[in-house]
Amino acid sequence: MAGTGSKDLSPQRKRRRRSGWRGLVYIAPAMALVLLFFVMPVIFTGWMSLHNWPLMGGTRWIGFKNYARMFHDARFMSALQFTAYYTVIVTIAIFAVAFPLAIFVEKQRRFVSTYRTIIFLPVVVGLATASLLWVWLANVDSGFIGPALKALGLVNKSPNLLAASDSAFLTVIIMVVWKIAGFTMIILLTGLQAIPAELTEAARIDGAGRWQRFRHLTLPLMRKTIALALIISVTGSILAFDQFYIMTSGGPQNRMISVVYYIFNQSFVSFNLGYGAALSIALLAILVAISIVQLWLLRVGEEQP
Amino acid sequence: MIKRLLAATSIATLCLAASASAAEKVEMWVRSGIGEAFKKTVESYNSSHENQVGMTEVPFSELVQKYATAIAGGQAPDALSMDLIYNPAFAAAGQLEDLTDWAKSLPYFNSLSPSHVKLGTYQDRIYGLPLSVETSVFAWNKDLYQKAGLDPEKAPASWDEITANAEKIRALGDDTYGFYFSGGGCGGCMIFTFTPLIWGSGTDILSADSKTATLDTPEMRKAVDIYRNMVKKDLVPAGAASDNGANFLSFTNGKIGQQSLGAFAIGSLVTEHPDIHFGVTLIPGATGGTSSFAGGDNFVITKGTPKIDAVKEFLEYIYSEDGQKIMAKYGSLPTRGDIAGKVLQGLDPRLQVGMQAISVAKTPYTLQFNDLINSANGPWATFTSAAIFGEDVDGAFSNAQTEMQSIIDSGQ
Repeated sequence: MAGTGSKDLSPQRKRRRRSGWRGLVYIAPAMALVLLFFVMPVIFTGWMSLHNWPLMGGTRWIGFKNYARMFHDARFMSALQFTAYYTVIVTIAIFAVAFPLAIFVEKQRRFVSTYRTIIFLPVVVGLATASLLWVWLANVDSGFIGPALKALGLVNKSPNLLAASDSAFLTVIIMVVWKIAGFTMIILLTGLQAIPAELTEAARIDGAGRWQRFRHLTLPLMRKTIALALIISVTGSILAFDQFYIMTSGGPQNRMISVVYYIFNQSFVSFNLGYGAALSIALLAILVAISIVQLWLLRVGEEQP
Repeated sequence: MIKRLLAATSIATLCLAASASAAEKVEMWVRSGIGEAFKKTVESYNSSHENQVGMTEVPFSELVQKYATAIAGGQAPDALSMDLIYNPAFAAAGQLEDLTDWAKSLPYFNSLSPSHVKLGTYQDRIYGLPLSVETSVFAWNKDLYQKAGLDPEKAPASWDEITANAEKIRALGDDTYGFYFSGGGCGGCMIFTFTPLIWGSGTDILSADSKTATLDTPEMRKAVDIYRNMVKKDLVPAGAASDNGANFLSFTNGKIGQQSLGAFAIGSLVTEHPDIHFGVTLIPGATGGTSSFAGGDNFVITKGTPKIDAVKEFLEYIYSEDGQKIMAKYGSLPTRGDIAGKVLQGLDPRLQVGMQAISVAKTPYTLQFNDLINSANGPWATFTSAAIFGEDVDGAFSNAQTEMQSIIDSGQ
């Protein structure tokens, strides 16, 4: 039966099937890497999350107790809350800075490539390095910001920026914007440059003002680019860890513990690898859900009208 | 016949000699930041013994994770110098060699630092023995005392006196401060320097069986008030509020009048900052008495190591008078009380104060030290920062008390 079935296939279908196999061979290396470095670790993390898995000593199967525990874990909830708050604030701040910058460097003007380079420079600094740099900048005695404010006569006494939670949060936000905005700017810039000049021209001839052109022409045509920039920014913010660990140690008084920071603490400070794994799986689910919602909101899959 | 016999025996002895000289090499890990003392002891042991010790320094913040993963991977070193507060947790996890019988056979067992042996004991079996001892003491800068018109040789005996002295030193000028502590969520620093205030007054942050958090006591309130008061009066540099331990030894900059620090620091102050003239005394309690935190490292042996005899030989060398002398010379206090006087002879007299502190010193015994105390995000670190620098002292007390209790309960 199977033999006759294959004989009945039209040559076209046969060719398609053969090229399908060939395609698979081409992507096999990539698939192998993804399997080895993403899928398998995730499966193993899932397996760990079903155990009481201390850093030392024996492991014990406990089913879904780790997952049940996280719903009553006040510290996890406050970490989620803080991460959400941070993500919203920092994403808005990054876009508020990156969009004008992108528009600024898109136009051909003198020294535009110099501007682009300068704005992009902080991006090539590692996040941990940048955090350390800002720890120094914000240092109350030997740093730059505090002593500079004092030297300018704006304050009587050099403020300890990282000691109070509002100023510490603000410092972290400014650092991240300084570090990331250049990258978002480049992404947005590619979107801006992809808009055909004729369309803008046509709109202008039709009498559309600057704001109208931005609102009804630029924004809709940049939907895919904005979606990409948004997802990168939101994902990065939800996974934030370095800046809080290095700049404030989660302080002042634990007000800045992000979800990843909490997972790290559970795994390597409290030695509950199992619970840490369960939290990681939960975070993965949250990230996937948020990305799907974002893609749906911006309707990236649909064809442009 | 005789010739053949002779030949046979000589070959046999040769073999014996060869096998005896097949010296063993013990792999040992040490955490960074305990100074030169141990390194020098290893050097002198290696130069005088057939067995050798290979020492690897591991950053102190990663030692616990690294050791735990090395055990899981079968790559663990034979022995380890472990911050003694982690000893109970590792012993409870069944990763360490039981040393009870051997330890008790040592003639000087009863004079080994009691806090260390207590931390090395789990369910009446001994899994760790003292390697290096450090106690917290109170130090004052004699030059600044003199400038402020105080008697540089007179050690302050109470916190009222310390505060009054701090005010006079602060009056000297812009960047000279009366007192310093790392208050920015450094649980390890604060348990080391701040809890002696309440221990001296006879209370503790945990009950004797470590099953109840007893943070909120009148003595702790008083201790917090003392520190708050000094912060309010601007006697402490503003950087203290966010110092997570990186600047713990600010005393070395010569502009801090008084600070509680450790005996290791006495060693490094003497050798590396000879220009700073300082005195040390026991840390006064908030309402009288004196106390200290007995810290340092325990010597632990990985369970099942084949080189256990060589490791024991090395440890016996450390406990010998020679070994103890080298350790002490580089800042680690003697672990053997019976020969401490002899060992410290001719060394800096200030180390004697560190030694006296051992008799009044305490160390909390808990399997959850990391969670409760040391973690920058744990209840103790948060409490010290919030209670001393925050607005809401009562809130800081009740939050920390609740969280400590819930961590203790969840671990049982």
